[in-house]
Amino acid sequence: MAARGHVQDPNDRRLRPIYDYLDNGNNKMAIQQADKLLKKHKDLHCAKVLKAIGLQRTGKQDEAFALAQEVATLEPTDDNSLQALTILYREMHRPELVTKLYEAAVRKVPSSEEYHSHLFMAYARVGEYKKMQQAGMTLYKIVPKNPYYFWSVMSLVMQAISAQDKKLSQTMFLPLAERMVEKMVKEEKIEAEAEVQLYYMILERLGKYVEALEVVRGQLGEKLTSELQSRENKCMSLYKQLERWPECNALSCKLLLKNPDDWQFYMSYFDSLFHLIDQGWEPPSEGEHCSEGEVRSSVAQAIAFVEERLAVEEAKETRPLRGPFLARLELIRRLRARGCPEEQELGEPLELMFQYFIKFGDKPCCISDLKIYLDLLTTDHHFINRLMETVPLSEPQDDGVALPGDTRALQRHLCVAQLSRALGLHHALDTTGKLDLIRQLKSHYRHGLQFGKSCLKTELQFSDMYCLLASHVYIDLWAETGDETMLWQCLGLLEEGLSHSSSNAQFKLLLILLFCRMGAFEPVVDLYSSLDAKHVQHDTIGFLLTRYAESLGQFAAASQSCNFSLRFFHSNQKDTSEYIIQAYKYGAFEKIPEFIAFRSRLNRSLHFAQVRTERMLLDLFLEADLSSSLEDNVKSMGLCPEEDDIPWTDMRDNRDLTVLTSWDPADRQLSEEQRSFSLQEELLWLKVRFLTLRLVGTLAVLSHPPTPRNAEKAAENGVVAKPDILRPLLDQLNTTLQNGAQFLERGVQYPFLGPSPTRLAHALASGSCHCQVLAFQLAAYVQELDAAALEETTEVQTQISNSFKSLLIQLKEILNKCKGDLLEVKEGQCKTQPTLLENLVFFVETVCVVHWVSCFCAGVLRPLKASLQKRKKKKKEPISMVVFSGFQEFTAGLQSLFSEVLDHIKGQETSLTALKLGELTLEEWTVSHLAAYKQRGGREPLSPMSRDGLFMCLDQQDWE
Amino acid sequence: MRVPLPFLHECTVKMTTLRAFTCDDLFKFNNINLDPLTETYGIPFYLQYLAHWPEYFIVAEAPGGELMGYIMGKAEGSVAREEWHGHVTALSVAPEFRRLGLAAKLMELLEEISERKGGFFVDLFVRVSNQVAVNMYKQLGYSVYRTVIEYYSASNGEPDEDAYDMRKALSRDTEKKSIIPLPHPVRPEDIE
Repeated sequence: MAARGHVQDPNDRRLRPIYDYLDNGNNKMAIQQADKLLKKHKDLHCAKVLKAIGLQRTGKQDEAFALAQEVATLEPTDDNSLQALTILYREMHRPELVTKLYEAAVRKVPSSEEYHSHLFMAYARVGEYKKMQQAGMTLYKIVPKNPYYFWSVMSLVMQAISAQDKKLSQTMFLPLAERMVEKMVKEEKIEAEAEVQLYYMILERLGKYVEALEVVRGQLGEKLTSELQSRENKCMSLYKQLERWPECNALSCKLLLKNPDDWQFYMSYFDSLFHLIDQGWEPPSEGEHCSEGEVRSSVAQAIAFVEERLAVEEAKETRPLRGPFLARLELIRRLRARGCPEEQELGEPLELMFQYFIKFGDKPCCISDLKIYLDLLTTDHHFINRLMETVPLSEPQDDGVALPGDTRALQRHLCVAQLSRALGLHHALDTTGKLDLIRQLKSHYRHGLQFGKSCLKTELQFSDMYCLLASHVYIDLWAETGDETMLWQCLGLLEEGLSHSSSNAQFKLLLILLFCRMGAFEPVVDLYSSLDAKHVQHDTIGFLLTRYAESLGQFAAASQSCNFSLRFFHSNQKDTSEYIIQAYKYGAFEKIPEFIAFRSRLNRSLHFAQVRTERMLLDLFLEADLSSSLEDNVKSMGLCPEEDDIPWTDMRDNRDLTVLTSWDPADRQLSEEQRSFSLQEELLWLKVRFLTLRLVGTLAVLSHPPTPRNAEKAAENGVVAKPDILRPLLDQLNTTLQNGAQFLERGVQYPFLGPSPTRLAHALASGSCHCQVLAFQLAAYVQELDAAALEETTEVQTQISNSFKSLLIQLKEILNKCKGDLLEVKEGQCKTQPTLLENLVFFVETVCVVHWVSCFCAGVLRPLKASLQKRKKKKKEPISMVVFSGFQEFTAGLQSLFSEVLDHIKGQETSLTALKLGELTLEEWTVSHLAAYKQRGGREPLSPMSRDGLFMCLDQQDWE
Repeated sequence: MRVPLPFLHECTVKMTTLRAFTCDDLFKFNNINLDPLTETYGIPFYLQYLAHWPEYFIVAEAPGGELMGYIMGKAEGSVAREEWHGHVTALSVAPEFRRLGLAAKLMELLEEISERKGGFFVDLFVRVSNQVAVNMYKQLGYSVYRTVIEYYSASNGEPDEDAYDMRKALSRDTEKKSIIPLPHPVRPEDIE
């Protein structure tokens, strides 16, 4: 907690122990101590607030809030109370209350710089820009310090950024901000770099680029010193905005002369070059070309410029820079795109890339440098052959594989292999060719391990990437032939790789993907946790875990992984606000909109919406038993089924879809189109899930508070029936499912290493979606029955009875789609059938939905039956109620279905156990491998067969 | 902080776009941060640096758009006591872009910024076991100023690890007083 002042106030001494208890997490003692103190000193408000903090932290939010408000209404002005209340409100996620607190404080002590500044920060926390603007000015009037003035200016900029009406930003807020800064400039009061930076921001947002340029290049610009090349970068961006291509051109060249390796300036140089050519720009007959100096505006000059940079590098005794060499290829590409014959003056791309390889082939980045320019090549084989000839390799060994003698040769050879793949040469091989390639790659991999014997656990092996390449070829083979043996081999190879290079993230990522695709989730948990993915990585790669945990029946793990992600997202809001305040404090004005955009990017994250929805669904699925009521569940998770709070139109896809390394040819890499399809698909599936969740939630709303039992009663009591939310949601679900089916018809495919497809296709194929729709439909009929007069219910009763029957039939059909062995072993070959497991999970989810619907039905039917019996006693005309018998048959049918499922699962377990036991007979093999692995640090045996839990089915507890 | 860089004299092959690190880069840095020795911090940590020392947070981008590596640092210490200095908080380069001298270049930038701010020296902490990094920093002109006992707390039951506090004097420290090694190791609570 905040450090107290130096002057010993007796109250400080009294409060100290409470602070200490709170700091040490001993909330109970803090509360006790506060109570003790309050007995003696009733008016020691701060003790009350500290007690409230203790209460808040022990989960007694309501008490804490009441106590805090007692103090707050007194409008305290002592530091201790104010600070403690600020902390409390922040922990309560009620930052708006802090503003009230300091508003009162400055009213009472209007000259306090400190309280005014706290008030400003309190407004900043909640984004009250207009009030910030005023608070800043008030502060400046009390104490004329520049930062306060510029806080006020920045608040105007924020009003401009956040304004819905962009015209208002341009005509009011920004011009006002500009005038405020101009005033300071005229009075020569500009002091700090941050102030100039803010001035620049304002002018840039106003589109006043000429004025911005004057500032940056003028006297004020001299203050821009913290960031390297700050003035140059700003000028460059302004030249581009202003389309001042001569200046852009000259400045780029100047900067490249200074640092011939800075890639961005080659780009801006070439951009400007072609703009100038298109404009037919001619240098002035005399005088300077432009304010930035010499312009090189012809193709000939550009070629000469690049050649000069190259000559400098070639003449160096030290190893040359890569920049000029790649710039030459870039220039060729651009000339070729424009059909300029001068391209040839720079040389033949194949030759140039060959030379590049000679110079830089032993650097691991050579592949990523060259792959950008592979499309310039016309003959791929020739290129690869020429490269290969230069790699120093031994005479072929017994297996016909020639090997490198050191790590540099290895890296060169590896680069050739990567380039071959990127050129599509691996894909062009037939099955035999691919198998032979794998053999060679494995041979290189294992041979290369000798160079890394002294590598630490945290380092990668030099030859790791061979292992990954071979794995990719295995996956190609599987994709081509459907032969699952290839995937099993691939698993084995990757496990081998991991045993030698235990921190190789790429091995782990690919293993995760393979295990998931094959239906084995359990090993994934450890692999993922060994990646140590944290914080923002939950958002970027958390999908690897959440995509499959639930669909493969690991409900507990699914719930946990959702929680990890949710914790991250929930802390984001509070965290980011604090640093927005910091940015004001340190004058990092350009970071403020950036932080706000960042916060919004996280709040609008696709993954966030997904884990939030799935987490709640999982809660409902896991709690689907008779002992807990749906209402309690829905209430405790704060679900409001009427509300759609997902920002559908502005969702951010923060997934890192290229986290798995791929050297595939460009046309097999994840395309922008595939990215957008993947997002579309995710959104469709999310919508299905979200609507399902809301529909289940609606059942709770409908049954609580008790709805009028029948129309008669309703009329009597004058109670208006609840607006029908079930049907509109059901309609939306139907539409979404139709859209989903339409999407699937397009047959979108993603690269294996790219995004996984969602569960949508399987959900539709399993029939679970339609079964769930039917269940909700049933609920809607029952609701109708509830609202109608008993005499007029014949039709709806028939509908209900039919729904009961169809539900049972459909559930049975889904169950039939789960039958079969999850793992078939024939003649030593394993075949997994993950779809069976996924269908089983769909079945379980559907049963849960049916369960909640049945509870709802029972809730309606039970009182109905009671009132009917009363009626009988009164000897009124009997009404036929087929629904009761229908419901009884339905529940009986469900019960027999459940025992069938349990038998099925037990059967699966038995056959999997039998397989495991069967494997134990391979004694010699297993034991020798075990020994080998113990030597390597006790990892699990190599055979994927014995990976514990590979055949894991659902947790038993999730079933009963 | 692990940057294998065995042959400094030939390590000037960067070819990079160097620019300020922004929040959006947090979504793209997996290839760098999935390294076992590179810590992924909580969002507040990054935002604190971005808010307070934005100029000290620099990222290198490859022509293909991949992030190659980044450096994150700050300026701190008392000017009066001649302890005002630049500090390297994190430096990491993706495996694919190692052996290019990128780490050296990023260090050079941080030193230049510290020079401009009038720092007396630049310092950093490194695991004593991270021999590769220690050697690299030595080649860049850094020397061990002191050992900090059990600076790195270990998880998974392994013992805590010591850190070297390594320093390099800047031009303001003309007599290179700031880097005279301390005779005894210190404890983490004794450092500022």
